[in-house]
Amino acid sequence: MRPVEAEDLIGLIHSKAADAVVKVTNPRPTRIYAEVKPGCHREVIDQLLEGFDGLGISTITGVHDRNQIELNYHLRCGGNILTLRTRVPTSEPKIETITDLMPGAILYEREVKDLLGVEFTGLVETERLQLPDGWPKGVYPLRKDCNLDEVSLQTNGGQALEGSNNEETLSELGNIEVVFGPQHPALHEPEKFLFEVDGERVIDIKPRLGYAHRGIEKATEARTLLQDIYLVERICGICNSAHTLCFCQAVEDIADIRVPDRARYLRVIAAELNRIHSHMLLLGSAGLELGLESLFMYVWRDRERVMDALERLTGNRVISALNTFGGTRRDLSPDVAKSILKDLSELRKRMSYYRKVFEEDPTLRLRTLGIGVLSRASSVRLSAVGPVARASGVEFDVRKDDPYAAYGEIPFEIVTFKEGDVYSRLRARVEEVFESIGIVEYAIAHLPSGPYRVRVSRTQPPGEAVCRVEAPRGEDVHYVKTNGTAYPERVKVRSPTLANIASLCTMLRGCFVADIPSILVSIDPCFSCTDRLAFLNVQNGERWSLRADQVSRLRGGRDGR
Amino acid sequence: MRVLPSMMRQILRGILEKPNTREHPYTSIAVPPGFRGKPIHDPVKCMSCGLCARDCPAGAIEMIESWVSPGHKMPSFNLDRCVFCYQCAESCPRGAIEPSALFELATTKKERLIIKP
Amino acid sequence: MLALALFCDWVERKLMARMQNRMGPSYTGAAGILQPLADYIKLFSKEVIVPRQASALLHVLSPILAFTIFVTSIFFMPIDGLNVMGNPGFEGDLLLVLVLATLAVFMIFLAGWGSSNPYSEIGAVRALVQFLGYDIPLMMFASAPAILAGSLSMITISRSQRIPFALLIPWVFVLFIIVLQAELEEDPFDVPHAETEIVAGYETEFSGGQLAFLKLSRDLQVVYGASLTVVLFLGGPLGPAPVGPAWLWSTLWFSAKILVVIVVMEAVEASCARLRIDQVLRGNWRLMIPLAALSLVLTALVTPWIHGVTGSV
Repeated sequence: MRPVEAEDLIGLIHSKAADAVVKVTNPRPTRIYAEVKPGCHREVIDQLLEGFDGLGISTITGVHDRNQIELNYHLRCGGNILTLRTRVPTSEPKIETITDLMPGAILYEREVKDLLGVEFTGLVETERLQLPDGWPKGVYPLRKDCNLDEVSLQTNGGQALEGSNNEETLSELGNIEVVFGPQHPALHEPEKFLFEVDGERVIDIKPRLGYAHRGIEKATEARTLLQDIYLVERICGICNSAHTLCFCQAVEDIADIRVPDRARYLRVIAAELNRIHSHMLLLGSAGLELGLESLFMYVWRDRERVMDALERLTGNRVISALNTFGGTRRDLSPDVAKSILKDLSELRKRMSYYRKVFEEDPTLRLRTLGIGVLSRASSVRLSAVGPVARASGVEFDVRKDDPYAAYGEIPFEIVTFKEGDVYSRLRARVEEVFESIGIVEYAIAHLPSGPYRVRVSRTQPPGEAVCRVEAPRGEDVHYVKTNGTAYPERVKVRSPTLANIASLCTMLRGCFVADIPSILVSIDPCFSCTDRLAFLNVQNGERWSLRADQVSRLRGGRDGR
Repeated sequence: MRVLPSMMRQILRGILEKPNTREHPYTSIAVPPGFRGKPIHDPVKCMSCGLCARDCPAGAIEMIESWVSPGHKMPSFNLDRCVFCYQCAESCPRGAIEPSALFELATTKKERLIIKP
Repeated sequence: MLALALFCDWVERKLMARMQNRMGPSYTGAAGILQPLADYIKLFSKEVIVPRQASALLHVLSPILAFTIFVTSIFFMPIDGLNVMGNPGFEGDLLLVLVLATLAVFMIFLAGWGSSNPYSEIGAVRALVQFLGYDIPLMMFASAPAILAGSLSMITISRSQRIPFALLIPWVFVLFIIVLQAELEEDPFDVPHAETEIVAGYETEFSGGQLAFLKLSRDLQVVYGASLTVVLFLGGPLGPAPVGPAWLWSTLWFSAKILVVIVVMEAVEASCARLRIDQVLRGNWRLMIPLAALSLVLTALVTPWIHGVTGSV
């Protein structure tokens, strides 16, 4: 991406949108906060879109502050994050949507609407995103005055609830609508997709997220910042390193803590090992979904090496818990470093074999070439992230655009492919494993000596920070706002799979029904990352079934799902 | 484009190789040093400051009266809630909490999971 | 025969596991050999649930019928020189066996169709379409040994193989194995019970004894397919019988050859991804049927030459 400097962004704001903007601050080199007058945010975004073609939206954070709700639009451009801030009164939370300008914002607006009750006028899809269908109206979990103990969930004894997008009906065009999920062997975590099918082709798709919703963002406010590291880590078991890294960096930005060099390199090592094991997990799952079970077994066998390496480094195979405020919790001893290097060189040989399998195996190619294509233009428009975007030719990697930890000092390449089909996405991940192995080897070889941790107090000064890292699945954004106590004011997490859901819908339109699992697995869905917010309190303990109870008849007798 | 599937040779070789799966629980594994298993508390070193209980993210530590040194409160660990993060070991100013390699902690009685000081 | 089916099931699972570098069933009995038996005992002891909207008659009957028909068709295989019913079969029993298998698959289809579940319906339809589609080349390939032996009786075909037909008409043999993979719904033609796509295909709504019968019929289908291959191409129960009663050795040779066929099929299954149903069908119509026709013609042409060379009838 063409490097865009913060000054360019500030300059454009001042020149083109000066009367809409109240104040612009630039507290850190790549972070810009612009306070926008109410109702003028669309104008500013319009001007920005005209000025910069690489503008994307990372997420929208809503913070409830007594009688006003602050809306932060986190836009990314080049390596910078520009946060547009606007406020709406709590008594009448209405604001215009920006989805016509930036279609990728639709899921974020729905999320804010669901959890904070802000109404986006002009928003077309207004169903619930994260909260279940039986959640009482008017109760917004992320508001500070919401008492969750009083919430009682309406369940309907197993019948589809009113207002849910559950009913399977024949749409106006006479197409069949088929449900995929929430429980399905192809999905590792529950989500529901409603497909509108015509014969063998998928016409449209409506995802319903929120099945793994655990209320983490609300829970972070009840725990101290130090405890929140561990909570944030458990947002996703597979990308746990990325989440802790992002959170720690955000708090370190707020408190202006400088992390020692050795710690920065150790963080890189842990993050890249995390990436290697995540990508191998996905490659194995891809094999499983596509029917090649043996690939699954063999890839996961070799993945065990990485897990053992992580165990030697951090004490635990999956949840590494290596990062903390001010550095890392453990050091890397020379023996462990040597064993990791040995494991990685073995792994390189095995990965070469898998690369060959992916390139040459005829049955895999039949199932993955040319399927689920995401064009470069759609990818940019919908703000896709991670290997999904990179396989469509978009060179977007947070490690290069906005270097954090020690990535600025370590040479590596961004892997891109042009075609944007399932094959390229899987190949992109294979190549990224090689890059990651290279990064770890470099980091271990150039590990600076010195302390690996600085002592940090438990309370932090009031402030806010946005931080993003390249999780294995893409760009992971954390927004942390502190208020001077040991407890955070607001923690907002936007994990990569949520950003890819809009692209998923584009990919799935027009594909064969039989290709749905392979496309799903190619974006590496991690739905436990996707639904992190509010938390349920089912009073009567009844489990409700959110699958439709009507059965869809198939047309043509040959397909559907 | 090849005609034969690429994994053919690997698969045929696999028939003759020793399997990679372990016969757990009949065989046991050696755990690397630094492994985060069950936390072990040393009452001699403990000074009852309560920092471990305050910092535990899972709320697994509770300071209760201890029979070892009456009048002082000592941490009791609820292994049911513990996530084995060892924040307690880090917060302890005296180093009274040590990691161990014990990880096979399943039991049939829930009370046995609460390690009293 | 049931024991053979269970044994084949165990062989499949253990072999597949070893190919994938893992252990497979190991705890039940020595090396897990009792695992299939344990599975079936467990299945029979579970509750049978018939979905309310399913046709109860179809749901209950079709697994049993499928099972029965497969058993019947295996009855006709000449395992030890004579088929199970003790007589040397009759002219044309090859055709009977093939038709019975088709009928059995139709029962399986009804099993899925009768279960009012979209996943079962898709699975059932796919199974039927795949089987019927590939039945045509199967019959064509099966007639090649018949041409070579000059008869449609399986006993005669297997008896006249002093040199196994697999060696004499190898092109038919190789293609037959591929088509057999499709018939038996093994990878790469795994589509009808593709787990990650349509839950369990036609087996979705079955539980308890019904599921046991369906699974048993599937195992029997494998045995049926393997024994068909052995009879047609590998010389049936023929093999040296050094000492002891002849029927014992025949049975052993037959079983050994079945195992060889299963090993080959498993190797293919373990190394191939799953093809999409439309790719499967396209492969059938565009590739397999023309190849079948071609190979049939080729076989007819070389038959007199082979007879001359080997001196067989």
